[in-house]
Amino acid sequence: MFFDLNIKGGSLENNIKLATQASEYGWEHINFSYNQKDFQDALQFKDDLKDNLAGIDFDYTLEIRSTNIDEIRKNVNKFRDKALCISVVGGDLKVNRAVLENVKIDALSRPYFKRYDSGINHILAKEAVYNNVAIELCFKDVLRTYLAPRAKVISNFRDIYTLFRKFDFPLILSSGAESVFDIKTTHDFISVFKQTGLTDAEIDKSFKTAGDILEYNKNRSNLIFRGVRRVDDEA
Amino acid sequence: MKLKVLPPTLRKNNHYLTLDIKSVSPISKDELVSIVWDNCVRFQGECNTSNFNLWVMRFYEMEKTDEYFHYKSILRCQRDFAEDVRSSLALVNKYNSKNISITTIGLSGTIKSSEKYI
Repeated sequence: MFFDLNIKGGSLENNIKLATQASEYGWEHINFSYNQKDFQDALQFKDDLKDNLAGIDFDYTLEIRSTNIDEIRKNVNKFRDKALCISVVGGDLKVNRAVLENVKIDALSRPYFKRYDSGINHILAKEAVYNNVAIELCFKDVLRTYLAPRAKVISNFRDIYTLFRKFDFPLILSSGAESVFDIKTTHDFISVFKQTGLTDAEIDKSFKTAGDILEYNKNRSNLIFRGVRRVDDEA
Repeated sequence: MKLKVLPPTLRKNNHYLTLDIKSVSPISKDELVSIVWDNCVRFQGECNTSNFNLWVMRFYEMEKTDEYFHYKSILRCQRDFAEDVRSSLALVNKYNSKNISITTIGLSGTIKSSEKYI
């Protein structure tokens, strides 16, 4: 299945337009991302959106943008039950570390954002594995840049791939699309990441990871602590 | 004097990509040619692009929407380099400072079969 956990959400009409386009291009599940200020408002028209969309699954991602670690923690605790996926935009080293140490967060989005390096080292990679926090790479960062900045973004991707191969932390790929111009077919999306150095198997694994995050969070309310889950199995 | 056509075994093998193009400003076939070449050279480099054997075979104007002009096109490329071409074209973002998006919606071995994606 083709999952995209980060398509920028907007109004109801805009979301319908994006979802329809994504569906035409082969995506099977998309998540509209909202920041902590807009997330509550977006929940109000979720049912309307569900009525208007057929042929594609959707849900919401809470994308927290902050450099204040306490604010991130408070927002995560506030929205954990309401959001199927919570990601935090990285870039700041303190944020990167705090996010990867927080088991309640699903993904660290763009750890290389506005940096000269990938924002991830072997220690953070181990934390990501230990806490099962995915690292998200955004197609938009390659699409929207050109020449030297694009080369640097791809270089940062490659650094993350090296750590991914050694430590095997969850890696997810997303489009970060803001308009219909940013949505590409699934095959195009895959071929760009293949060009940057990922293999077919690794890309498949990243889509599976995205699916697993959604599946895991559907059962999160039954989770007592790590490894122990309440089951409703009479047999 | 015209060159004699190569025998089939010595000819290059082609694939045909069907492109879906959305542009804020109207574009012509010639402009599409320059967009395709510029972006392939920019992303893959001159040496790699020389393998691609690019040629815009067909150019179709589709129905215009409120947001963009919609076109479809059939692009020829060399068989083993289709992935390289489609990734280069997927990264097209702007043309003359206006938003443009190109994505590949079909890949075929003949022009006729690629026309089914139009």
